[in-house]
Amino acid sequence: MEYLYTIAILMALNVILASSFNFVIGYGGLISIAHPVFYAIGAYGSALLARDGGVPVLLAIPAGALIALAASVLVALPSVRISGDYLLIGSIGVQLGILEAIKNVGWTGGAGGLTNIPALLRPGTDHGVYVALVVALAVLSVLLLHWITRSGYGRAMSAMRDDELAFAALGRNAVAMKVAIFALGCGLAGLAGGLYAHYFRFLAPAQFDILQSAALLTMVVVGGMRSTFGPILGAIVLEVLPQAITFLDLPAGLLGPMQGILFTGLVLVFMFIRPQGLIAAGSVWRGRALEEGHAGQS
Amino acid sequence: MPVSLEVRGLSKRFGGIVVADAIDLELRAGRIVGLIGPNGAGKTSFFNLVSGVVRPDSGTVALEGRDLTGMKAHRRARLGLGRTWQSLRLFPSLSVLYNLLIGARHYPGERLATLILEHGRVHRAEKAGRQRALEVLQRTGLDGFAHREVGSVPFGQQKLIGVARALMNEPRCLLLDEPMAGVEGQAYRTIQSLVRTLAAEGISVCVVEHNVAFIRDLCDEGVFMFAGRVLARGTVESLIADRRLTELYFGT
Repeated sequence: MEYLYTIAILMALNVILASSFNFVIGYGGLISIAHPVFYAIGAYGSALLARDGGVPVLLAIPAGALIALAASVLVALPSVRISGDYLLIGSIGVQLGILEAIKNVGWTGGAGGLTNIPALLRPGTDHGVYVALVVALAVLSVLLLHWITRSGYGRAMSAMRDDELAFAALGRNAVAMKVAIFALGCGLAGLAGGLYAHYFRFLAPAQFDILQSAALLTMVVVGGMRSTFGPILGAIVLEVLPQAITFLDLPAGLLGPMQGILFTGLVLVFMFIRPQGLIAAGSVWRGRALEEGHAGQS
Repeated sequence: MPVSLEVRGLSKRFGGIVVADAIDLELRAGRIVGLIGPNGAGKTSFFNLVSGVVRPDSGTVALEGRDLTGMKAHRRARLGLGRTWQSLRLFPSLSVLYNLLIGARHYPGERLATLILEHGRVHRAEKAGRQRALEVLQRTGLDGFAHREVGSVPFGQQKLIGVARALMNEPRCLLLDEPMAGVEGQAYRTIQSLVRTLAAEGISVCVVEHNVAFIRDLCDEGVFMFAGRVLARGTVESLIADRRLTELYFGT
């Protein structure tokens, strides 16, 4: 049962991560791979506040999310002015640099990891409660992002992706919009980080490395970029498949490489065969129905 | 007529190429000025500099007495500077109506915090924006296309969408970059009468256009540009009659 709970929690956390990553790169068009670093900032921030700062865990988790959000704004302000390939390169620098810092300062536990993180639940509480909490937050995150992308804001995001110059010449502030998208997406990643930290109670920098970026990218691409349910499906498939491989009874030395091959292979196969992912988003923006007389005129 | 747009000493060079060389130009409310000159004269660059898409090396731009120099493109647009693009630059992922809504003035739903916290306000603004978009569509004869994808609309109507979108922001000065290129028939006449009406409402209009007949029929005044400079200014007839300018235009 413990094992199933663990899988369920990891799946729900991946749903939050993949959906918010989809919000940033799919809807926002911001090609960043630094998502795991904000997951790490949320996790470490919340864990350290609770462990060393004496903050109640229930407050530390949202505080960790806010720290990740604030950090993402600091990163975004200089880097969203650049775009495309340059933003990608900048985000690789952020991903590698911040992780390297976490590995090398003392108060994060360094490369050995952060231990003795306080748990959210009292000892003896059924872990199903935590599963329910994480799943509920994953559902809320997905609903929030879905609601935003189908609102007038989503419509403006779509226009900004189409043509940033025309967007600006109509009086719209593309830079502010990109910072907001990045901040919300990274804040949600930070929330997932806090939820991770206070259940598993141990953090190691290696969990948040660039392989995690590849895994999240695979979830989004395989699931279907710019669709609401695509990243959810991607997160579930990409959590189940590696777990299934561990049952294959392969030698331990093969397991790690197998997972890497699986992620890379899946992305390659999908890029060739089904670039739109399992759940294809339409090329035309569809919003909430507010139209009067839509049917009559189309 | 009061001065609407005032440009002083606007200069820009890209390496060795001078696209604007100390341009002085005034646009007056209610007047239509045609910007003519051969390809590469700097007409579109002038629009890019004035609308804030490209930063000038020096010079000032003011709209209705308000200094716009150094402002970003979106702020200039909010203060009443509207423009269209030679290459249209419509939003292909949006329907015609939604293309217009991106241009709507005061749209709080495009601020994330407002969207989440003040839903009622966003909803009212959305309704008002739609109302205005439908009016502009009607005015431009596009009402039948409201819910079509922009890519599926005939080219002449796409040009009109570009103009209609710029009107959503209630501009005080409108820069039209080749509104007539590739347009004929009904759309041609609609654009022509639309520009006249807008000028009559007190908007200053500047048109870049190679269609001489269009310029002659519509513009109160012509400005001839060459190599980033304003060479001559006067009635369109007098510019066309000037042999020196026609030689520059055709490169003979």
